[in-house]
Amino acid sequence: MNWSLFFGELVSGLTLGSIYALIALGYTMVYGILKLLNFAHGDVYMVGAFIGFFVLQWLGGPLKPVVTGWLAVAIMFAVAMIGCGALGVGIERFAYRPLRNAPRIAPLISALGVSIFLQNSALLLWGPQFRNYDSFDLVGVKSYHIGSNFFISNIQILTISVSIALTIALTLVVSRTRTGKAMRATSFDRDAAEMMGISIDRVISFTFFLGSALAAAGGIMFGLVFGQIFSLMGFTAGLKGFTAAVVGGIGSIPGAVLGGFLIGLTEAFATGYLPGGSVYANLYVFALLIAMFLIRPSGLLGSPVIQKV
Amino acid sequence: MKKVVVAAGLAAAVAVLATAAWGSTRGASKVASATNADTALVKCGKTRTIGLLAPATGPAASIGINQVHWANFFKNTYNRTHKTKKIKIILEDTMLGSANGTAEAVKGAQALGSNASVLGVVGPAGSNEVKATTGALKGAGLGFVSGSATNASIATDGTRTGYFFRTVPTDDDQSKSVAKYMVGTLKVKRVYIIDDQEAYSTGLADSVQTLLTAQGVTVGRDGVSQQQSDFTAIINKIPRNTQLVYLPWQLPPKGQAFGQQMKSLGRAGTKLMGSDGLFDPAFSGLGNNVYDSFFPVNPQDARVAAFKKIHHGTELFGAPSYVAAQVVSGAIDRACKNGTASRAEVRAQIKKTNIPVTVSLLGLPVKFAKTGNLVQHPFGIYHSVKGVFVRVA
Repeated sequence: MNWSLFFGELVSGLTLGSIYALIALGYTMVYGILKLLNFAHGDVYMVGAFIGFFVLQWLGGPLKPVVTGWLAVAIMFAVAMIGCGALGVGIERFAYRPLRNAPRIAPLISALGVSIFLQNSALLLWGPQFRNYDSFDLVGVKSYHIGSNFFISNIQILTISVSIALTIALTLVVSRTRTGKAMRATSFDRDAAEMMGISIDRVISFTFFLGSALAAAGGIMFGLVFGQIFSLMGFTAGLKGFTAAVVGGIGSIPGAVLGGFLIGLTEAFATGYLPGGSVYANLYVFALLIAMFLIRPSGLLGSPVIQKV
Repeated sequence: MKKVVVAAGLAAAVAVLATAAWGSTRGASKVASATNADTALVKCGKTRTIGLLAPATGPAASIGINQVHWANFFKNTYNRTHKTKKIKIILEDTMLGSANGTAEAVKGAQALGSNASVLGVVGPAGSNEVKATTGALKGAGLGFVSGSATNASIATDGTRTGYFFRTVPTDDDQSKSVAKYMVGTLKVKRVYIIDDQEAYSTGLADSVQTLLTAQGVTVGRDGVSQQQSDFTAIINKIPRNTQLVYLPWQLPPKGQAFGQQMKSLGRAGTKLMGSDGLFDPAFSGLGNNVYDSFFPVNPQDARVAAFKKIHHGTELFGAPSYVAAQVVSGAIDRACKNGTASRAEVRAQIKKTNIPVTVSLLGLPVKFAKTGNLVQHPFGIYHSVKGVFVRVA
């Protein structure tokens, strides 16, 4: 057993999984409340990565930021999360809310339309070229040895810890606050919640804000860890996030995180151990999705839908 | 009822025949138009038009825009020094490496083919693009001279002989130079090769792998997709005692991301070697452990200094595209001696190109073999010194 390779792939998988988990959380929250698959979510993640990039340029760029590197990263996170949160609220207000009582296929098509609109707008505004975060210059990426052959970088540690911290914060918001209680009530029975005086519109807007802000955090993490961002990065990442949400059990917050880590680990270990894994990692990821559907259609932590007949 | 069935049958038969007849006429007119495009005489006039197929945007934009700059640099120099005749360049963006694959390149080639004033083409940049655009360019009778497509078989498979030419050596030449430098100068014993699954990349990787293995070097091999950004999992796979990782890739930002991820995983000590596609400041900026192989260019040439002065850069990737523009414009000038020229005449003149070493930007004579390859074809090896590639072999 090559433990160095195993540990390396474990860290890579957890890092990638952290990003997928943040995307999956947005999918799962929106689905939990609206029973809508928000296919534009991956593109919100892309917009978040770009907002972070432009904030960095505004702060003087990675070589000479006007503030310290880590403070620049914190500002990038804050601005991108607020910006994307607002974008999410806007998308819900103009693309989904008018279709709330329409047949379920209508908002789904609308979501695809928003996704294509965001992708093409990004191509038009920022072009198709890759942009580099230059994390090395920005924060001075360092790798730490654990033992003689195990390595982990400070950016990987940051990514995993920020992801866990955001998930804990989200769980606390949903389980301990009045708004969270309203979210749970809306998810359980929208009509009953409305009759109890809960402002459904406000709850849904808040859900979109939270989900989109988490996606923005994922986008910035991607830029910091993997160096580059581009206009079409949201499509595949969105699909993986969606897969993570489904594998974990769509509608379940811990399920989304678990699904994200599982997808990330599958990708990393497939690359490390399976034949042709580096090229065909996606094959293994989506095979996992199919297997999950066959074995446990409601996902790892999802509860089966019981229909009264 | 019987009458209706018969009438319907007749109508169907007529429709089938009409469709077949229309199709055959259309086919004939297609052939006729292709033939016409080949031999149709164009009045040369004062301004002659050259098409340029380059990735001005997209993932390979950093090298593509450099080709555009060099081609335009030739145009401006030519127009300044020739009072009675001028060159016009029509750029078609091929977006090399984008999600659309080679579709944009084909669209660009079709646009140039249908523009009667275009007499010859510079580009396209990638070998896959050369393969994809051959039908459109050949069908329109256009000769095309690439300043960066290096796949060996595109000149030898006979598909585009007489139409395709290039001002760069081939991957065979490149792989020999690369393997020789790795073994002879760097004295490496353990190399890991990662291709990017494109024809250019796998061809070059295969060739270098064969040469290294024959010389007793332990070679590991893997591949990534061009759309991939996370290389950490594959980096973990590279044995720790690997001395050099060879990346025959086309997209400099990907090479840059790979190098940065290598560093972040504590692999800063491993040497990286790229191919001509990574000859870019994004890759050389990774540090002093970076090497690259690149086309022959004479850095002492006054035109290099003049170009650097205008574009404030050291990028030489597009220099062979300058030579390609020089080849096409020279051929048009010779074909236009009697005031008119056809695309076939321009192709014939491209074949006869003979730019002596004294005026060649490449530092070697520009003369084509029957295949469209350069008669002389050495490849240079470069080392990154303070973020800039310096020729070392």
